[in-house]
Amino acid sequence: MHRFKLPPQILRLILVAMAIVGSYLVARSFLVPPSFGEYGWYRGDALKLIAARDPVFAGKQACDECHSDILHKLAKDAHKTLSCEGCHGVSREHCDNPDILPVKATGSHCIRCHEANLARPAWLKQIVVKDHYGPKCTECHLPHQPTQSP
Amino acid sequence: MMNEVTNSVVEALPQFQGYVYPNEANFHPVWSTLIVVYPYITGLVAGAFIMASLVRVFDVKALAPVYRLSMLTALAFLLCATLPLLCHLGHPERCYEIMMTPHMTSPMAIFGFVYAWYLMAVLLLELWFDYRQDFVKWSKTTAGFKGFLYRVLTLGVTDVSEKSVRLDMKMEWILSIVGIPSAFLLHGYVGFIFGSIKANPWWGNVLMPIMFILSAIVSGIALCVFNYIVLNWIRRRPLDMRCLDAMAMFLFYALVMDAVVEGLDVLHRGYAAEEGFAVLQTMIHEKLFYTLNIGQVGVGTLVPLLLLGLLQVLPRRVPEATRRVMIFCSGAMILLGVLMMRWNVVMGGQFFSKSFRGVMSYKMEFAGQEGWLISAVIMCLPFIILTVLVKLFLSERLQPCEHVLEKSSKA
Repeated sequence: MHRFKLPPQILRLILVAMAIVGSYLVARSFLVPPSFGEYGWYRGDALKLIAARDPVFAGKQACDECHSDILHKLAKDAHKTLSCEGCHGVSREHCDNPDILPVKATGSHCIRCHEANLARPAWLKQIVVKDHYGPKCTECHLPHQPTQSP
Repeated sequence: MMNEVTNSVVEALPQFQGYVYPNEANFHPVWSTLIVVYPYITGLVAGAFIMASLVRVFDVKALAPVYRLSMLTALAFLLCATLPLLCHLGHPERCYEIMMTPHMTSPMAIFGFVYAWYLMAVLLLELWFDYRQDFVKWSKTTAGFKGFLYRVLTLGVTDVSEKSVRLDMKMEWILSIVGIPSAFLLHGYVGFIFGSIKANPWWGNVLMPIMFILSAIVSGIALCVFNYIVLNWIRRRPLDMRCLDAMAMFLFYALVMDAVVEGLDVLHRGYAAEEGFAVLQTMIHEKLFYTLNIGQVGVGTLVPLLLLGLLQVLPRRVPEATRRVMIFCSGAMILLGVLMMRWNVVMGGQFFSKSFRGVMSYKMEFAGQEGWLISAVIMCLPFIILTVLVKLFLSERLQPCEHVLEKSSKA
């Protein structure tokens, strides 16, 4: 009886394919982190790493310790619900050591909320910056008491 | 101090008109030039492969001289197909993680499987079977690194008996047959990724995979035309006009089909006029006017249709030199037009608000992660890889084996 023999090129390809799959499996056993899949399709240890990071925000209460006069004014006006660090930048380090200034947030804080956009609620005061006076908002507006003039 | 902070109106405002949700008024769309390049490159791969399959599966002998060039073109572009995605995501050094923990829950994750199948199981295998005897022959006649490379590529199989060669050819034929649906899958899948986003009327469309496949075939053949003419021009060799005319003919037919299906899509959208149609009209008339009407429709479709159509109607009246120029220009214009089409699809879907009542603007950056420079570099990379592949596997100094020569001479 004639014995079936795999052609040499097919046999070689099967061996190469097996080598590729084998090295993939070996690589996988080394490269997949041990905690992968512990809670879901991600590295379980990542949660501990994230939890161990130091918070950068101090919170409004921390600001109140030294700047209670400003917070007092703020509480009486339209911006009472805003967080200090939303405009002044993250301040945890500043809180621990007043010599370190808060990390300046870049960008325009006023127009982030007040640039005209039809999708915003009508009660929110809105302007079209390019049609509005001047580059300095604080020439005419007090951020802590927006309903009053300087 | 406080005033300085409060008054630092440094950011230019995002430009938008009409009703745009605040979270849509960003400085940049989420996807930009890199994501435009991604479907463009995969389309070129699929098109170049389908062009090569015409030789193997449908036995179009006139195209035999360009078979290997098409396959190498497909390989060079496929090797770069995932680069735009990796650059867009950031941290390209983490790319292996996708392969280490594969999963099936997102359309983009499944693209990894489609890509791996196409590269490993179709393209490389078919190329290997096609080149196997040449590797054996060249490994004996070439010295140095090249000779070593050919020896490695034989995988140690030196059998070039008639029976063995027949098996190689049969395997190539089978792989080509498997390859055609695989090429359709590769690029149809990219179309599906866009077409399945049902919340976006510009993308969510069942015709999207079909339009992607047809435009891929068109762009792939155009790329092969471009590469064939440029390669022969560099080598100062005369063009095989029979081959070039055949490519122009297939390019014309593919372009007709592509134009018809895309026209059908426009007609269907116009007649159905579903929710969001008004904003799509604004896109066509204003936002995408130059890239869609002039780029995609005019330069990329109508002018090449006219030029190639003329060549089909009056094949003998046009002198050879003029024919060459016409075919080359059509190929180049189609390549540009299909790039515009990808731009229109990818960027068009991000230029209007989900409220359908407002539009956003986008100013393309030069440098940076989403700048067009990196996209241009990624577009050049396949041509550099192709140059290396052509030097190694399509060199004028290395003659292919007899069965390859026979196929070409019969043509």
